[in-house]
Amino acid sequence: MKDDSVKHPQAAAEFLKDRAQAKWHDSAIWWVRQKRDAQAKQLPEWEELRRLAREIKAHTLSQLDDYLAQFEANAQNNGVTVHWAADADEHNRIVHSILAARQVKKLVKSKSMLTEECGLNPYLEQRGIEVVDTDLGERIVQLRHEAPSHIVMPAIHLKKEQISELFHKELGTEAGNNDPTYLTHAARANLREHFLTADAGLTGVNFAIAETGGVVVCTNEGNADLGTSLPPIHIASMGLEKIIPKLEHLGVFTRLLARSAIGSPVTTYTSHFHQARPGGEMHIVIVDNGRSDILGNEDFYQSLRCIRCGACMNTCPVYRRSSGFSYSYIIPGPIGSTLGPSRDMKKHGSMAFACSTCGSCSNVCPVKINLHEQLVLHRKKAFDQNLLPTGKKMGLLAMRFLTQHPALFDLGGKVMRKVVPIIPESLTRHSAWSRAGRDLPPMPAQSFKEQYQQRSQNKQDKEEQQ
Amino acid sequence: MSARDNILARIRQNRPQASALPDIHAVPFIRYDDQFEAFATLIRNLGGDAVQLQDGQSVADIVAARWPDAGRTVDLTVAEHEEVDDPHAWHDVDVAIVPGQLAVAENATVWVSHPDNRFRSIYFLTLKLVLVVPREAMVDTMRDAYARIDMEEHGFGAFISGSSRTADIEQSLVMGAHGAMAALVIFV
Ligand code: SF4
Repeated sequence: MKDDSVKHPQAAAEFLKDRAQAKWHDSAIWWVRQKRDAQAKQLPEWEELRRLAREIKAHTLSQLDDYLAQFEANAQNNGVTVHWAADADEHNRIVHSILAARQVKKLVKSKSMLTEECGLNPYLEQRGIEVVDTDLGERIVQLRHEAPSHIVMPAIHLKKEQISELFHKELGTEAGNNDPTYLTHAARANLREHFLTADAGLTGVNFAIAETGGVVVCTNEGNADLGTSLPPIHIASMGLEKIIPKLEHLGVFTRLLARSAIGSPVTTYTSHFHQARPGGEMHIVIVDNGRSDILGNEDFYQSLRCIRCGACMNTCPVYRRSSGFSYSYIIPGPIGSTLGPSRDMKKHGSMAFACSTCGSCSNVCPVKINLHEQLVLHRKKAFDQNLLPTGKKMGLLAMRFLTQHPALFDLGGKVMRKVVPIIPESLTRHSAWSRAGRDLPPMPAQSFKEQYQQRSQNKQDKEEQQ
Repeated sequence: MSARDNILARIRQNRPQASALPDIHAVPFIRYDDQFEAFATLIRNLGGDAVQLQDGQSVADIVAARWPDAGRTVDLTVAEHEEVDDPHAWHDVDVAIVPGQLAVAENATVWVSHPDNRFRSIYFLTLKLVLVVPREAMVDTMRDAYARIDMEEHGFGAFISGSSRTADIEQSLVMGAHGAMAALVIFV
């Protein structure tokens, strides 16, 4: 489970202590961002696709109750049982009661951030059900008793040596064999056994089609497919915002998802589930857990358009340099930093400040969520609710006062340019910003304003001379 | 009120401003001059391969030439194919030859939803997956594909592109995560 008491600045500082690992993390994730760009550039209609995706989702959210009812009716027509859960607890109770009624001992799960959000694994394990995460990255973090550090690449915080060591201990692989192919195939053999002996399979949902009552699950590994085609029970857990109106709309979303997420034209498997396999039964659990509240919030409801591609975290300069574990909410990065504070400002308020407001997230988001604007609005809320550490609050108040009094601001700048160069280093060494190798920048002779005025003056003089 | 009615009532109350559904067909999407070429180039990066059946050649010839020592082979493209009573019974299939209804040039996927197949597990348990697709059944993009597909197999259908793969260990791409280790698309 994730430690939801972490505060971003402290946790990020801790992460950055291992410079080599931090640098690797940054560049590995940036590489995914670059692959995404390469894919986007191959499609002349890329920006139009983003617009369409945004508009389809905006429309769906504006009539979400109708579409959910339509989805439910069509799923029931297909013979699927539909359940509704107001919160995480109800979701877990429903899943457990389905499994318990059928004496399920082993459940194989494919990737689902929703079940992480609900804490399903520990809930079931406490009740005697073995839960096996089957996405390779999720399996790795499950064996390490960790949460995923990224929503698409759960084990991106780990080096292959660490995974090799883990597999040696847990799966009996050769000590010191760090070859990713060898390790992946060892996990494959182990998980194949679990697939063949599981009593039930649980998947997340990428898209739920109102028109047909079916759900779509996208994976590269094929774990969702094995987990639902072998055991007789398939449970699909979905947040209520996963709805799209029609099958044809997948012609937009499947073109965006994998390109945005991993820089690949599509996932290996895009599977459409409308019925259980012959002799089996299928259940869909529709979960609210705070989503309908966000829907009613004018500033933040757009975050419900999210298709969980992870592109916003791959591009985020703060995420890449602080890793998923520096964020208190289960979903890290820009999207997590708006969803977390929407859910619980007290707990997750620090996430809204883990942002340079560069806006890169909003620029890559395939459904065009105004992510960085939402983070700024959350900061305002955190300030208004008096949740900022005193130092930060005082700083902001001082800054506000200064920006409202330009003359004082100018004077302050002037004094700083004179005084800072003569402060002995021993006095600045203990400030919050001071690090080894991070010196104060040399002070310019003039302020920006003075330079600007001077340049305008020079230009004017020149023009007059001509 | 039930959880369902409660949730729907709250959503209704919290509806954001109205917003029109766009016409996704109004936007021109990419076209490929040579669809097979686009498909074949792409699938080679995705752990697969694509070939066109030549005159006088059969699917079985191509499969035999590629995997001369193949183990258990199941061919769902013939009418009288092997059947099993349990989805687990496909666990030791080496080569599965299955019909694909449609291929998509932009991403090298094949739509699989075969009315004459009982257990979909075969697509994912097999070590090598051979997809046999009529050569005229090729479209440019997923938008065209969704206009033409049906769930013909027990409410199931999947787009499959190449081999099962993962990059979860240090971003190194490895073929053969849980599903097929190799994929071959034969256009007939
Ligand atoms: S907010 Fe946008 S970019 Fe971020 S995960 Fe969601 S859809 Fe992807």
